[in-house]
Amino acid sequence: MTSEVRVIMTVNGTEYHVTTQTNRTLTEVLREDLGLLGTKIGCNKGECGACTVIMNGRSVTSCLVLAVQAEGATITTIEGLAEGGKPSALEQAFVEEGAVQCGFCTPGMVMSAEALLTLNPHPSAAEIETALEGNLCRCTGYRKIVAAVQKASQSRE
Amino acid sequence: MGRIAQYYHATSLEDAFAKAKQLGPVAAYVGGGVELVLRRNPEITTLIDLSRCGLDYIAAAPEGIEIGSQTTLTTISRSADIKQYAGGSFAYWAGRIAQNNLRDMITVGGVIGRNQPWNDVVPHLVALGAQVRLFDGAERIMPLSGYIEAKQPGVIIKGVLLPAGNAGSSGFLWRFTRTQQDISTLHFSALVSFDGKVMTAANLVFAGRPGHAALYPRLSEGLVGKSLSHETFARVAEMALDLVEVGTDLRATGEFRRELVRAAIVNLEEHMTGVAQ
Ligand SMILES: Cc1cc2nc3c(=O)[nH]c(=O)nc-3n(C[C@H](O)[C@H](O)[C@H](O)COP(=O)(O)OP(=O)(O)OC[C@H]3O[C@@H](n4cnc5c(N)ncnc54)[C@H](O)[C@@H]3O)c2cc1C
Ligand code: FES
Ligand code: FES
Repeated sequence: MTSEVRVIMTVNGTEYHVTTQTNRTLTEVLREDLGLLGTKIGCNKGECGACTVIMNGRSVTSCLVLAVQAEGATITTIEGLAEGGKPSALEQAFVEEGAVQCGFCTPGMVMSAEALLTLNPHPSAAEIETALEGNLCRCTGYRKIVAAVQKASQSRE
Repeated sequence: MGRIAQYYHATSLEDAFAKAKQLGPVAAYVGGGVELVLRRNPEITTLIDLSRCGLDYIAAAPEGIEIGSQTTLTTISRSADIKQYAGGSFAYWAGRIAQNNLRDMITVGGVIGRNQPWNDVVPHLVALGAQVRLFDGAERIMPLSGYIEAKQPGVIIKGVLLPAGNAGSSGFLWRFTRTQQDISTLHFSALVSFDGKVMTAANLVFAGRPGHAALYPRLSEGLVGKSLSHETFARVAEMALDLVEVGTDLRATGEFRRELVRAAIVNLEEHMTGVAQ
């Protein structure tokens, strides 16, 4: 028998009080309870990166995080990147560089890239590849994704 | 999806240990929490979270470097002290194992606590001569090689100690995979100290055989006091074929692994002759 627990977390700047079962993942709570469907579920076991969010400054695969583990955490999902209702420079770069095809991997890719650029605003191509190594894309062949992150890095301080 | 009824945020080691003792085998500690088995195991009903117990630290002291068990692989890979330790091999591998997002979740305590036979970190730590600081109401220290032989349920891994004195030594890890993210078919790790071109100390470890990490003192003896020559390593490779127990599993046959044992020693030779130049 699993039990229910109340979890307080700040997601995209808003504090949420969520009552959830102890065995539910952060991905499930983000998608099903908070309606933040941008975070995707691919493998649900840490292999594909589709569920990547930034938690306390670290990019994490949210399918491997229990919602209760996120108690007190500050979380950013893909929905939290828009600036004034417009895509962030990083998101815009993905569009302009043609780094999106079916789009399923894109939120996870963007979140891993955002975590990288926050820590290292001007990464080399090799550093970008390392940051994205846990994010699988079946469509683009990755080169345009790396180009998009490079483009976005030019507008970072 | 398991039967987790309680997720307990422990506030100290004492608190975590008392809770585990009270509940017995239905409780499990959580380091990074990456290990799905924890959540899917129907026997486990309580998870005890160690993230608020002050175990995320790297402290350099005269006796060596202590890494708190909640320290993630990413933090280890960025540590200036660990980058300087034994040629920086542990920092290097901590930044390459698994994948980027997971490395910021996987803790060194969780890696040791789980210690799958194909685990990448434990063989290297054993080769480095690491010790574990354990807590079961009181603290004690024991060699990691001994801990993995006889794991003690309920005991908390507080930290990992990398002994001093390895500053001039060279750490080495070889994992045989087709791609970086594959599970390795064989692990080989070593720590070799040398004075000019003569080796003065060595720890050689094989793992993923498919068994757990094991030290091979007789192979180490084959290197100590010898020159860094091709003949030395060729002799040790021949000895290794006899000494290293290999088996068959889903990933490779024992015969294939036996060939890899020889290749592992060749790789160490290349590493060492490169380091000594
Ligand atoms: C997608 C994926 C890819 C992976 N790739 C690799 C890889 O390439 N190489 C590799 O080596 N490993 C890999 N792993 C395995 C990973 O290293 C282990 O799952 C590791 O145990 C995760 O660490 P954690 O801190 O999250 O452990 P947890 O999940 O928190 O715990 C693991 C075990 O250790 C126990 N434990 C945790 N902390 C302590 C403590 N302080 N004291 C006592 N017991 C404790 C727990 O009770 C549990 O039994 C991968 C795992 C996944 C899911
Ligand atoms: S859904 Fe989380 S890593 Fe694939
Ligand atoms: S755009 Fe389709 S998986 Fe990446």
